[in-house]
Amino acid sequence: MNDSGPLNRAWRVFATGFSFMCFGLGAVLMGFTLWPVLRLSSLDSRVAVARVQRAMSVSMRVFVWLMKSLGLLTYEVRGLDRLAARGQFVVANHPTLIDVVFLVGLMPEVDCIVKQALWRNVFLRWPVSWAGYISNATGAGLVAACAAALAEGRSLIVFPEGTRTRPGVPLNFQRGAAQIALAAARDLRPVTITCDPITLHKGNAWYRVPPRRPHWVITVADPIPIADFLRAGEPQPLAARHLTQALVQWFDVSITQQLDKMRPETRPGG
Amino acid sequence: MGPVQSPQEIFEQLRGVLNELFEIDPARVTLDAHLYNDLEIDSIDTIDLILRLKEITGRKIQPDQFRHVRTVGDAVNAIQTLIQNKSAAA
Repeated sequence: MNDSGPLNRAWRVFATGFSFMCFGLGAVLMGFTLWPVLRLSSLDSRVAVARVQRAMSVSMRVFVWLMKSLGLLTYEVRGLDRLAARGQFVVANHPTLIDVVFLVGLMPEVDCIVKQALWRNVFLRWPVSWAGYISNATGAGLVAACAAALAEGRSLIVFPEGTRTRPGVPLNFQRGAAQIALAAARDLRPVTITCDPITLHKGNAWYRVPPRRPHWVITVADPIPIADFLRAGEPQPLAARHLTQALVQWFDVSITQQLDKMRPETRPGG
Repeated sequence: MGPVQSPQEIFEQLRGVLNELFEIDPARVTLDAHLYNDLEIDSIDTIDLILRLKEITGRKIQPDQFRHVRTVGDAVNAIQTLIQNKSAAA
């Protein structure tokens, strides 16, 4: 199938706009109907939030299905069964705008850290509120809030980069993810996300579609244990620095390998 | 920290603490160095730093007192104020 001609590109610009419009409309519609109904469906807020999160997961899967059906992307997930257990601390690299859409769709119930700006976004403020997502504006309380969510047996997604990757710039992680893992004494579940050709990345407008249809590979890997970092008996800020360095190294290798494999294999001659 | 300390002594002690807690090379710690931009001390580190300074100065520190601290020099001034207030009160 031709996925790189001028007609196809024009189609992908239109269909991307259409998809995002659906996303926005869907978020507003759900934000005023199904989400509040689910959120108020139980007096136990944990039960209610879990219902909203499960519905959120379904709607993200629908959105990915829409983009795939419109010919905007293809994707593959490796090691999905590893995400089935509850109480997982998922850390992922963040190349594209829709990484969180994939991940929420792949996990039945999960908390996310969402940037405070989304509470001022007319489309997204209600959905993120009803789903009980954690705002990054809480500063120092953020680590404690995330550790508490994990201690309750909830799963959590964190993008340690804090924002999308800038292509061509060395990988840079904030230390929050390591701080959370150390505070919660929880191993990290790394997920490597790569997209080729890159699209929807930092500083690139949505309508600047890539030359051909992009392909995502999402790999759920074995846990990264934190025992060595806790055992070292060093002050937590230092342990967080060392764990962060180890994470950056792990992801650097993993991303490079995944991209190298992806380029020849998934695109035999276009 | 003893009750009477010069800014220079406080600065040297702070250098030691930054190295102990965060493995920051003392050579990078100058009075002008910006805690966040130059030394990569984030908001969570600041809490640990304040806890450690509490232990050393033996004085309660409100995070408020460090709100306007941006550079190492600011921190030295804030610590000096704390110690002086303590001596005055004692």
